[in-house]
Amino acid sequence: MQHPFPVPDAITVKNLRKTYTVREGGSWRGKTREIVALDGISFSVPKGQIAGFIGPNGAGKSTAIKILSGILRPTSGEVQVNGLVPWTSRVAHVARIGVVFGQRTQLWWDLSVGEGLALLRDIYGVEPERFARNRARLADALDLGEIMDQSVRQLSLGQRMRAEIAASLIHDPDILILDEPTIGLDAPSKLAVRAFVHELCRDHGTTVLLTTHDMHDIEALAERVIVIGHGRILADSPFEDLRMTTLSERILELDFHGTPPELALPAGAVETARAPHSLTITFDPRQIPAPALVAHVGHLPGLDDLRISRPSIDEIITRFYADHAA
Amino acid sequence: MTLRPYLTAFGLQWKIGLRYRIAVVAGLVAQMWFGAVTLMAYASVYHAAPDVQAPLSLRQAMTYTWIQQSLFTLLPLGCLPAVGDAAKTGAIVYDLLRPVDMWHWWLSATLARLLGNAVPRAVLLACVAGPLAMLVGLGAWSLAPPADLTAAVLSLLSITLGALLSATIVMWWNILTARTLSPLGSYAVGTPLAVLLSGMLLPLPLYPDWIRPFLLAQPFAGITDIPIRIYLGTPIPGGVATGLGLQLFWLTTLTLLGRLWMRQTVNRLEVQGA
Repeated sequence: MQHPFPVPDAITVKNLRKTYTVREGGSWRGKTREIVALDGISFSVPKGQIAGFIGPNGAGKSTAIKILSGILRPTSGEVQVNGLVPWTSRVAHVARIGVVFGQRTQLWWDLSVGEGLALLRDIYGVEPERFARNRARLADALDLGEIMDQSVRQLSLGQRMRAEIAASLIHDPDILILDEPTIGLDAPSKLAVRAFVHELCRDHGTTVLLTTHDMHDIEALAERVIVIGHGRILADSPFEDLRMTTLSERILELDFHGTPPELALPAGAVETARAPHSLTITFDPRQIPAPALVAHVGHLPGLDDLRISRPSIDEIITRFYADHAA
Repeated sequence: MTLRPYLTAFGLQWKIGLRYRIAVVAGLVAQMWFGAVTLMAYASVYHAAPDVQAPLSLRQAMTYTWIQQSLFTLLPLGCLPAVGDAAKTGAIVYDLLRPVDMWHWWLSATLARLLGNAVPRAVLLACVAGPLAMLVGLGAWSLAPPADLTAAVLSLLSITLGALLSATIVMWWNILTARTLSPLGSYAVGTPLAVLLSGMLLPLPLYPDWIRPFLLAQPFAGITDIPIRIYLGTPIPGGVATGLGLQLFWLTTLTLLGRLWMRQTVNRLEVQGA
């Protein structure tokens, strides 16, 4: 479809609010209470970007994903996906997106993977040649050759997730929404899924919105991370920026062949742990650069080895949530 | 609107229905057993009161029973299993994610499932209870052929309407399942209603005079009772046209109201989250 004007953003969200009404006490006459799931969030995702959507459980991620998928209606606010409002033109909207809910299956237990894909071809009205091309491409990229004729019931979780991703892409959607696509997968399967999403974005310009609790997904894939908590956007930046503002500290570990000596450390560095043969020093590289600190401890008697590391992405996010009481 | 997705949904459920061949055989044995027990009960009742003018003759009651037994799986006993599973696991969101009309999408699947279950069983049981029973000398207990050629043609038309009507009632169970997120309610309500009101438990023509008009007018009579009456050539108050008219009336009414209820349910799922 040709647009009369350029559409720079694949997804635009303005002041999105969603409240649920719940009945307290579960009785018929119980008082109702309003729960705010999304409290006015705004963001946009340009075409071809992979945006990571993270936040603690109950932060409002799923609600936002469901609204963008067109299966949930917001209380107020504006959303445009590919120029369409998801909940007013549901059928046209869902024909142009692909969605994978990691904890649910969209394939049919009683059918083989291949039969399921053929069924989706009919649902989405994919032409035979395009279907054959996409099926071959996806089978190759997601390594589906061996499981194409197996019934979905018999697949392992990793095999099933690869099949699920193929199922969500058989109709060439412009936007792929992945809700926890790596949940429960073993390491090779996780790597395969990440590599595939990366290629999809690079080679086909597909816009990807990804929610996950696995921060390594974010680190490996997302150019940008949107952190959501209490229904609000707490941060929206490249991951490195989040690291700098949240937990920029580094860790220096020193191993000795005897008892570690007492140290006088420069400003910005503190001893955080001491063991019979090792020392751990935490330092802020903006106050004391790593080379200077290494020079300072390098001549210590009995020093065997030293390592510098950064906090893991999990630690950074945990700290970020704690800082924002999310 | 293209028909392809709906034909595909039909094909899929038809295939799943046919996949369980052991269930067809097990069902056949169970239905033969229930049929035989019912027949013996009728025989003793009819012989105990030979002077009473019953609305159905003993032969007709036997044929009625055999057809009911052979069409047991056509009854709207509960929701479509696929909808029940989707409601329990939450995969129902994927149904909302398809670019299709949900009513027609579920209806094609439901109709295919009912037919995929019922047609093989009906053909098998009809063969066993009809020609085969006659061949082994049980002709007096067998399924009799239709009253005449007109009855045969009209009852075929009527059973087609009956299947559509049953699928439409199952759609109501499907919606109920989507609302309560559990298939149990639909079975708790559907099974007793369908078994009692379709005439499966006791043929509707054998109920007391005063209640018969009500039983004929309710929607479940249109599934198997009206087609069987046409097959037997027993009089329907108002004639065959009334019978077919009642089926069409319920089919239209339940479809219109059902679609409204469906739209309201999808709205609710969209507001409160699936």
